[in-house]
Amino acid sequence: MKRTTIIGVLTVLALVVAACSDTASTTTAGPGTTASPGTTAAPATTAAPSTTAVGGVLSEYGESTDADPDLVEKALGPVEPSDEASWNIILASIARASQDLDQATIDKALECWASQECDTGSGGDLVMGYADGGGNDVNVWRSVSHMEAVLQALTYPEIGTIVSTAANFDQDPAVHVNQVRFLIQRGVDFIVGYPDVGVALAEAVGEAEAAGIPYASFSAGYVGLPDQEGALIPGEDYLTVVGEDLCALGESFAEILNTGVGTGEVALLGGTPNNALSLGWQRCTIGALGDGLELVNPPANENSTTGDTYWFPPAIPPVFNGLLTANPGIRGYAYEYADGIYIGLGTYQELEIPVENLTLALRTDEQTLFCDWAERNEPTYNIWYSAGGNFQSRTGVTAAMMSLKGAEIPATVIVPHVMRQVTPENCDPNRVDPLVSGTSLVPDDVLALMFAG
Amino acid sequence: MTVTRAPSSVLTSFVIASRYLPVYMAILLLVIVASIWAPEALGGVGLSAIAPYGALLGITALGQMLVIMTGGIDLSVPGTLTMAAVLMVGVGQQSDDRIGAAILAAIGVAALIGLINGILIGGLKLNALIVTLAVGQVALGAVNRYGRTISVQSPVPTGWSTWVSTRIIGVSPLFWIGVVITLLLVVAFRYTTVGRRFQVVGANPVASRVVGLRVNLNQIAAYVVAAMLYAIAGVALAGLLRIPGVSSGLPYLLGPIAAVVIGGASLTGGLASPLSTFAAAIFLTGLNLVMRVMGLPTSLQFVVFGLVIIGGMLVSGDRIIKGVEQVFRERRRPNRIERGTIKSSFDGTG
Repeated sequence: MKRTTIIGVLTVLALVVAACSDTASTTTAGPGTTASPGTTAAPATTAAPSTTAVGGVLSEYGESTDADPDLVEKALGPVEPSDEASWNIILASIARASQDLDQATIDKALECWASQECDTGSGGDLVMGYADGGGNDVNVWRSVSHMEAVLQALTYPEIGTIVSTAANFDQDPAVHVNQVRFLIQRGVDFIVGYPDVGVALAEAVGEAEAAGIPYASFSAGYVGLPDQEGALIPGEDYLTVVGEDLCALGESFAEILNTGVGTGEVALLGGTPNNALSLGWQRCTIGALGDGLELVNPPANENSTTGDTYWFPPAIPPVFNGLLTANPGIRGYAYEYADGIYIGLGTYQELEIPVENLTLALRTDEQTLFCDWAERNEPTYNIWYSAGGNFQSRTGVTAAMMSLKGAEIPATVIVPHVMRQVTPENCDPNRVDPLVSGTSLVPDDVLALMFAG
Repeated sequence: MTVTRAPSSVLTSFVIASRYLPVYMAILLLVIVASIWAPEALGGVGLSAIAPYGALLGITALGQMLVIMTGGIDLSVPGTLTMAAVLMVGVGQQSDDRIGAAILAAIGVAALIGLINGILIGGLKLNALIVTLAVGQVALGAVNRYGRTISVQSPVPTGWSTWVSTRIIGVSPLFWIGVVITLLLVVAFRYTTVGRRFQVVGANPVASRVVGLRVNLNQIAAYVVAAMLYAIAGVALAGLLRIPGVSSGLPYLLGPIAAVVIGGASLTGGLASPLSTFAAAIFLTGLNLVMRVMGLPTSLQFVVFGLVIIGGMLVSGDRIIKGVEQVFRERRRPNRIERGTIKSSFDGTG
């Protein structure tokens, strides 16, 4: 009897694991998906007249596009502006990041960042919901993005309360769904978030929108790519997605590999299986790889991601082990997550494969990897990156606030990107925390308190 | 009488000896499959990839095996392992001088977690499944809380991650640590009174209690030692990942149990082989690598891995061989009935 019970429990555990993995696969992708129009084409972001004009028109919604150019460059690098509607909202969000924070504001920001709910002290009537599939406690990038959103919210006197939830990368989509439903029940006026479980969050996001609560995601957090089965359409089913043009990003990655590697084996890495972000850029990277490059880990089909690391440290070394065992001569990787590469390079050391003749095309810019690169001082090992993109949560807040004030928001707020090569200057030994992106707009004194230790 | 008892005795001995056989057959099968479809996995790089992670899973599985030998199960592994990994960061403070203190702290805190499990299960007779699940959740909660006092995702001391990645006689030091722990357990079970008593108590706690063995103490000790082994795996994992984070142990819930089962342990307690358990951990890690080298999609990897675990449960232990024995006995039964020897032939041969 005891044995039967234990076997029964083990079977249930196995089924749960299988169900989770299956859910991850089926809820973020679907059959019949071909291209990714919503993510490949900037024209999808046709601007509403009220947001296309610069400065003066946005003032109708209490915003200014008079952003500090230094902050714009810090957040994005030397980019060309995206479409006018998107660019104006981005400028408006960065304009609010030019904060000379007093101690009271810093204290309030820390309180709101660390609490599920806080009173901003402004007396405003609006309640902001922040729904993160990750969370402060599990990931630095998520933690900083949360703080960016909090600091942005504190610039709006209309926002009197901030309610934050974190699913802590739970593999059960129901946990993520329940977080959004909690925010709906709490009566928030808008939600900014990152939908880690993709289309599994569609129903909850739909419920929010039906309740009159606009949902804005950031970091290209599509609730499923628009052509995936079960996906919601930004601009129709939910307010907007803030993020890079994923296909353009993927093509930029391919360009880096084409140039940096030229001839040889390359691999692509991604996050959770079939997540919209990885799928969006991987499709276009594959299509743009040069003839001299051999992709050692092609996806099973065009609706699948490849190199699934879950963006989860323990899941990263096995992926590298598999790739390097079969292809120890890999000469290039494309990936979103710089810190994940840092973990993966540990595998090189274990397998005694020298880190040389290697080109990396990355999205984020964690200092850990950059300092490791500088320390290696290997001339044939080069890294190119785009931007950490933490500030995009600010843009989500601003887009939602503008929407509440009657502005028409583009379906996708396209964040322009540019690939930059890592130089020794990218490693700042005095950085508050080596894992914090150098492109974050959270002031250093706030970061110091966040990661005081 | 001797003539009629002999075949059954031989079968019984074979049953005991063969319960650990499937894992070695599985490894052989995996080698054959790999040599055909993923020969790279059998090369130097492949074996180097298997060694540290196989040992890490093996050490964790050995802890789980001790618990299962007492008839229990331990679902607090992820929490304990994560706690150890995070302490390696928090106490280590990126200083090589603090590596020793961090390891001791990790093992000490883990022992405390094991002690709580042991007292609740062995002392208060609470259900092992629920208790360890709950204690594991408490541990994860504590890790999250503790994680706020350190910088989340900070690296372990460089000296530790460097040492973990070095080689001793051409192989990862973690593999050797796993081998040493395995051999210690083999020797303890085979040649020490404490070890033999541990097995006896697990196999038959009622009889053990009758003859005066301290069953409760045995259970408590199992959970404590097991937790210390999880801690060793946790600090090793922290070194391998370099930035372990506060959820690094989460994948270690099912794998160690699978290794114990495939290694031929009896889930009802008692019999288990450290060597087979460690071998099963190596097998599972090797299987994972072979699937990756073959380029199987993630979804298919889950399916294959799950099927192998189910298959391992079906053929491991004495399930198959007892079936064979039963068939053999049934085939012999009519003749003996005819001769009127059935009772004397099979009494007591179990």
